[in-house]
Amino acid sequence: MSTLAPRATRGPAARRLDARPGRAVAGLAARSVRRGATVLVVAAAAMSAVVAFTYESVVGGAPGGAASLAVLAQNPAIRTLFGEPVALDTAGGFTVWRTGAALGVLTGMWALLAATRLLRGEEDSGRWALLVAGTLPAERATARVLAVVTAVPVLAGAGVALALVTAGTPVRGAVLHGAGLALTGIFFGGLGAIAAQVAGRRAAATGAATAVLAAGLLARMIGDGVPALGWLRWLSPFGLTAQVAPFHADRVGPMVVLAVAALLVLAVTPALAGRRDVGEGLVRPAGARRPRRGLLGSPEAFAMRTVLAPWAGWCTGVGAYYLLVGLLTVSLTGFLTANAAFADLAAGAGFAGLDTARGYAATLFALLAMPVGGFAAVRIGALAADEAARRLPLLLAGPLTRTRLLLGHGAVTAVAAVLLSGAAGLAFWAGAALVDAPLGPGEAVAGALNTVPVSLLGLGAAVLALGWSPRLVVAAGSIPGVGGFLWLVISQSIDAPRWVTTVSPFAHLAAVPAAPAAVTATTVMLLVAACLAGLGVVGYRRRDLRPA
Amino acid sequence: MSSLSRAWSVDAPVVRTEGLCKRYGRTRALDGLDLSVPAGQVFGFLGPNGAGKSTTIRLLLGLARPSAGRAWVCGVPAAEVARAHRFLAYVPADVALWPQLTGAETLELLGRLGPGVDPAYRDELVERFALDLSTPARAYSSGNRQKVALVAAFATRAPLLVLDEPTSGLDPLMEQQFRAAVREARERGQTVFLSSHQLAEVEAICDRVAILRSGRLVDVAEVTALRALHRTEVEAGFGGAVPVLDDLPGVADVEVPAPGRVRFTLTGPPGPALQVLASAGPDYLRVREPGLEEIFLGYYGSTNGGMR
Repeated sequence: MSTLAPRATRGPAARRLDARPGRAVAGLAARSVRRGATVLVVAAAAMSAVVAFTYESVVGGAPGGAASLAVLAQNPAIRTLFGEPVALDTAGGFTVWRTGAALGVLTGMWALLAATRLLRGEEDSGRWALLVAGTLPAERATARVLAVVTAVPVLAGAGVALALVTAGTPVRGAVLHGAGLALTGIFFGGLGAIAAQVAGRRAAATGAATAVLAAGLLARMIGDGVPALGWLRWLSPFGLTAQVAPFHADRVGPMVVLAVAALLVLAVTPALAGRRDVGEGLVRPAGARRPRRGLLGSPEAFAMRTVLAPWAGWCTGVGAYYLLVGLLTVSLTGFLTANAAFADLAAGAGFAGLDTARGYAATLFALLAMPVGGFAAVRIGALAADEAARRLPLLLAGPLTRTRLLLGHGAVTAVAAVLLSGAAGLAFWAGAALVDAPLGPGEAVAGALNTVPVSLLGLGAAVLALGWSPRLVVAAGSIPGVGGFLWLVISQSIDAPRWVTTVSPFAHLAAVPAAPAAVTATTVMLLVAACLAGLGVVGYRRRDLRPA
Repeated sequence: MSSLSRAWSVDAPVVRTEGLCKRYGRTRALDGLDLSVPAGQVFGFLGPNGAGKSTTIRLLLGLARPSAGRAWVCGVPAAEVARAHRFLAYVPADVALWPQLTGAETLELLGRLGPGVDPAYRDELVERFALDLSTPARAYSSGNRQKVALVAAFATRAPLLVLDEPTSGLDPLMEQQFRAAVREARERGQTVFLSSHQLAEVEAICDRVAILRSGRLVDVAEVTALRALHRTEVEAGFGGAVPVLDDLPGVADVEVPAPGRVRFTLTGPPGPALQVLASAGPDYLRVREPGLEEIFLGYYGSTNGGMR
C-alpha cells in the first residue's frame, strides 16, 4: 500500500501528459501523403538520372550529335511544352530542357492537390474540426500541414539535384535546377493552401488553384513565344525557373524572385486560416436559392448535370492553350519554312511536315490526350468520391443497378471528353485563322479528335480502377495520358529500343491532319479501352460498396 | 406503383433472409441470419454497435454481397436491385447529400430515381418536418440531412421502408413527427424495417423486434410478449408486518429494504402474490414493468457495452 501511495497522490493532473499536438497533426498529414510523395520524389530523381546518365551515349550515338538535338528542339510541341532549349550540348542542360518543365508541372500540381486535399477536403469531411478541437489553433495546424506538403517538393528538388551531381553535371547548375523545382512546388502548395482558405469547397479550391497554374504555364509560353511579351515570364514560376537557365546562364536573380513569392504565399496561409470559421471559406457560398430542376430525372441526366461546370472549366483552360498555340502557327512554321536545312533535318528525325500548319497542328494535338485523359480520370474519380462520401447508397436504393450507374456516368464522361477534344480543335483553328494560317476547321477538329482513343484509354483505366481499387482511380486514369507521354519522351531521349517506345499509346498516333488517321491503331486502342472499362464494370458490380 | 404492389402477394414476407452470412476477412459481421418480416408491421431491429444491423441492411439493399445465404425483398432476390428496389425506400444511418444541390433539388432527384412519390404527401411532410428546401445541402446540419432523407422515403408508396437509425440527429419535436409518419405508413399498409439504438422509440412504435448480438439473431418477438417473458418489479408498503411471499409461484428476489416494505420480482400470473398482499392490507402498491432497456441489458449483460 505504501508503495502505491506516492503514485496515487500525484493523480492524473500531476502526470506529465504526453501531448504533442503539432507533431500529431504533421504526422497525420505525412501519413496521408507518403505514398504519392514517394512516387513523386522517386519519379523526379529517376527521370533526371536516366536522362542525364544516358546523355553521352544518346547524343554521342546520334548523327550530328547536339546539332540534331537542336533540330529536335525546334519541334514546336516540345518547345512550347519544355521551354526554350539552351545548353543542349551538356548533359545537365539537356536534362533540364527535356524533363524540367514536365517535372515543374508535376511537382506543382502534386503540391497543389495535396494542399487542397489536406486543408479543404479534410475540412469538408468534418475531420479537420476534430483536429482543431484539440489544443492546437487552426492557424498553427494549417502551418504544420503546409510544412509537410512543402517538404515534399524540397525532397524532390534535392533528389533531382543529387541525381544530376551523381551523373557528373556541374554542381551549381544542379543545385539551381533542384532549387527551382522545389520552389515551384512550394509556391503551388502554398497557392493551393490559400485557395483552400478562400473557397468553401475542395472542388472550387482545386479548380481555382489549377486555373492559376494553367495561367502560369500560358504566361511562360507566351513569354517564350512572343519576344515583346517576354516580361510575362517574370509573373510565372515556370517562366522564372526557365530564366534561371541552369547549366547555361545560371542566373540567381529570377530564383530570388521565386523564393520571395513562395515565402509570401506560405506566410499568408496561416494568417488567413486564423481569420475564418472552421468549415467555411473566406468566400461564403451563396445561401438560399430557387431550385433548378433540370437534369435530375435519370442517373444519366444527373451525371450530365454534375459534369457541366467542371467541363466548362477544363474547356476554358484547354481552349486557351490551343488558341494560343494556334496563334503561334505562322511564326513557328515560318521559321522552319525559312530554314529548309532545319526542316530537312527535322524530317530525318521523324518530324516530317513541321514546316506546315497541318504538321504543326498534328504534333501539338498529340499533347491533348494528357488533359483530356486527365479530365476523364477526374470525372470517374468524382464517382469514387461520391462513394467514399457515402452519397451513393441514396441513389442505389432506387431501382438502379450499379452497371447502369457506371455505364451512364462513363458514357457521359466519354461524350464530354470528345466534346472537350473538339473544343480544343476549334480553339486551335480559331487561333490559326486569326494569323491566316492555312488550316481548315474540319482539319483542326479531326486532328484533335484523333487523340480521343488515348483519352478513352485513360477513361477505361479509371473505370477499371473504380471496379477493383477505387482509391487508385485518378492515378490509374492518368497512366495512359500523362504516363504514356512521359514514357515516350524518356524512351526517345535515352534512345531506347523500339519495343520500349511502342508501349506508349502516343507512339501509335498518326499525325492527323498532316497524315491520314491510323485506323488499325485507333481501333485497337478503342477496343483496349472498352475491355478495360468492361473489366471495371465487372468488378464494380461484384464488389461491396465502400466504406462498409 | 399499384401494379407492382399487386405483383407481390401481401401475405408473403416483405423481408426474408436465409442463412445470411457476411465475413470481412476473419470477422463474421453476420452469421447465418434467418429472418422473416411479415407485411404491414413496424419491425424493430435491435443490437449494440457492431452486432450486424447495418451489415444486414447493406445486404438487403445489395450494397454488399453476402458471403453465404440469400435475401429477398417482397419475394425478389435482393441481388436483383432493379426489381427489388421498386418495393423499397431507404434512409441511411449517416445521410450524405450532394453539397451543391438544394433540399428541393435533392428531393426531386431522389423522387425521380426512386419507386415513385406522392407529391402532396411529400409537401405535407416538408411542412411537418419544418424543412427549408431552398438551402444547398452543404449548409444542412446532420439533423436536416436526415430529415431530407426521411421525407424522401416517407413520401414514397414503397411497400417497404428501410430506416437505419433514422432519428439519431432529430430533436424531440421532430422525433414526434417521425413517429407519426411511421404510424401513417403502417396505416397505409407499408412495412417499416427500423434499425435503432433508441429503445424508447422502438418500444413506442414497433410491433415486433428482432434482437441481434455478434452477428447472430438472439430473439424475435412481439414487444408485449417480450415484456411478458420478463420479470415485473413489485413493491408494497404495510402498516404492520410484511407478509411472507417466499414460496409463491413466480415470486423471486424477495427483500425487505425497510420495516413495513417489501420488494420482489414476479414472473407469470400475478394472482397468488396479489392475494397474499391484499390479505395483509397494503398501504401502497407499486408495479413496474421492465423497459426494453432492461430486457436488453438482460440479453447483453454489462460486459457488452455500446447500448444507449
